[in-house]
Amino acid sequence: MATICLIGNPNCGKSTLFNKVTDMVAHVGNWAGVTVEEKYGDWNGNQTLDLPGIYSLSPYSPEEKLSRRFILDSEPDLIIDVIDATNLERSLYLTTQLVELGRPMILALNMQDLLEKEGIKIDLEQLSKMFHTRVVNISASKGTGIEELSRAVNKTLADKKIPSCSLFAPPLEKIITQLIADDFMHVAPKAYPRRWCAIKLLEEDELFLERMPPIPEKLQKSLADSREKLIKVFDDDIDAIIIDQRYHVAEDITKICEFKTEPPQKFKIDTILTNRFLAIPIFIMVMASVFYVSISLIGGLTIPLIDSSITSISAQLHIFLDSVGVIPFLSNMLIDGIISGVSAVLTFVPQLFILFTLLSILEDCGYMSRIAFIMDRAMRDLGLSGKSIIPLVIGTGCTVPAIMSTRTIEHPKMRKLTILVTPFIPCGAKLPIFSLIIGSFFQNAWYLAPMMYFFGILAIAITGIISQLLDRHKESNAFILELPRYQMPTLRNTWVQTMDRTKGFILKAGTTILLASIVIWFLSNYNFTLKEALPTNSMLAFLGRLIAPIFKPIGFGTWQASVALLTGIAAKESIVSTLSVALQGAAITTLFTKAGSFSFILFVLLSSPCIAALSAMATEYKDKKLFIGAIAYQVGLAYLASFISYRILLGVF
Amino acid sequence: MNNKTVEQLNIGESGIINSIQAPKEIKRRLMDMGFTKGITVNVVKKAPMGDPIEVCIRGYNLCIRKEQASNLEIRNN
Repeated sequence: MATICLIGNPNCGKSTLFNKVTDMVAHVGNWAGVTVEEKYGDWNGNQTLDLPGIYSLSPYSPEEKLSRRFILDSEPDLIIDVIDATNLERSLYLTTQLVELGRPMILALNMQDLLEKEGIKIDLEQLSKMFHTRVVNISASKGTGIEELSRAVNKTLADKKIPSCSLFAPPLEKIITQLIADDFMHVAPKAYPRRWCAIKLLEEDELFLERMPPIPEKLQKSLADSREKLIKVFDDDIDAIIIDQRYHVAEDITKICEFKTEPPQKFKIDTILTNRFLAIPIFIMVMASVFYVSISLIGGLTIPLIDSSITSISAQLHIFLDSVGVIPFLSNMLIDGIISGVSAVLTFVPQLFILFTLLSILEDCGYMSRIAFIMDRAMRDLGLSGKSIIPLVIGTGCTVPAIMSTRTIEHPKMRKLTILVTPFIPCGAKLPIFSLIIGSFFQNAWYLAPMMYFFGILAIAITGIISQLLDRHKESNAFILELPRYQMPTLRNTWVQTMDRTKGFILKAGTTILLASIVIWFLSNYNFTLKEALPTNSMLAFLGRLIAPIFKPIGFGTWQASVALLTGIAAKESIVSTLSVALQGAAITTLFTKAGSFSFILFVLLSSPCIAALSAMATEYKDKKLFIGAIAYQVGLAYLASFISYRILLGVF
Repeated sequence: MNNKTVEQLNIGESGIINSIQAPKEIKRRLMDMGFTKGITVNVVKKAPMGDPIEVCIRGYNLCIRKEQASNLEIRNN
């Protein structure tokens, strides 16, 4: 079985192509940095690898380092260099580096459908000659050219055609040739082509040097001499000289292969969306309408409908089960445990479906990078960057992919801070809890649901300001982000992406929540001698009472609330299902005071996320102390905020 | 007198890069994105608070902070 790597610039369509050829559902979107980890799939029996996009083989952020590691160490049998054909020159800059890896390669010129609109023509034959590779025109989103690409893959896997390309300026080429011939080059790893090693040695590439045994003194000296010579000739530093030479090669090839006619001038939507005065109000309105439509409009419509039908179905089912003589243990477990718990979660599927649809459109159209652009200045004062806003927007759907998407943030300090604050944005699974409490205690307070997002943002701001005050080593850092062209989201893609996420939610209801509901039902109906008991004498009540005192000062020291919070660690949705099972049909208003109920949702909003998000945090932090510190901070802040709000509200109500 | 930089360009103006004066890592990143000597940079737009700015090079758009823009020296006249 052969291994094929898809590589290319960010946002050139690798994941779209990957989904097309492997029939998988990798997350796609229209901004640089959607893919942050490797993904394997099968394409006609070949193991195919989708990698995060890179602009060069000198990586900066974790996801770029991952790509470079894979492309070097997985020793792929074939590299497919996916090229955004509307952006040929910059794409070929990466191609000049991929060529040096000495692996069989194909150029896939993507976005054919856009070329004509942009007034661009590319001479494939010339391009193929320049790189000694096969070149195929494709459109991953429209699905054209895939068969031809597939044929080129088979041919190249068979003949193992190695690419090459034009050389650098003579003074640099001469030195590279000398280095390759140097006796001491044998210390360089055998797996890498000599030319690649020579260039990396010249550049003093840190990631490469880590792999090298100590370099003999003679080679050191000859490298230093070479660098000095080059610096004299080109009057720049070594890195700059080599990048410059590569871009010259890319420019020359582009000049030969690309023909541009002036594209027709169109009205640009961006003049409004990133207008100096309107940009931020528009952003706030866009996000507000996303939540208004999904939560208030759709949720308000569907929740009562589903609730009432479930109640009547449960009642009918009870009568039916009794009539056919099913033992009470089973029928109770089914109705009071499983149905009550699982349906409490499933009620929210319609509104989450709409939320996921709207988020997918937002991700697909190209607006995400613009949000980063317009918010960068404001985020900077909080020790964050424009790129931090993308995880926060994704986090309104689910915290797990949001935390993973922080990988595109180059600066470690900023990335760690972004990971810490991302869970403060309530994910889709926390919405049911807010709806339940707000619907039961604050019927007329329509403003409370949006307020939860506001409190989340406030917590982020406070955290940012604290971190800025504590940070003694402020560093200036760069913010460089490509702004892709806007595109119309395709119906098919929006559907596939939305269904994938909705399915994940439903699947959790059918597994984690189902299991938790059975356990909670059992624990809340039986005592330690395994005899049926009133809930207040049950095992669950006993366990809940052990921890309830902790929550007493913040207004919800009941065993039911405590147990619900505990099960919330498994999945936030299960807070609702646990309350629903543990209440045994009693009204939720008997469980909380008004002040206590608000304190409860505030605590749910800010305290640590569910186990899946926690493990994402742990993976990204790679540091136990930092991870534990982050949890302690989140729980501490939640406790403090709930305490303060409870004390204030006690006076109000 | 210091050389003019991209930061000093108004919206709609362009300049040709003469040199990049930035810390090693940032310079590399800027060059990887295509800011090399002799390339024309066109300032497209500025963000709500005047920072960052959107520029167009090599036929595509990207945004950089004012600070990076001030690292990009352009040719006089």
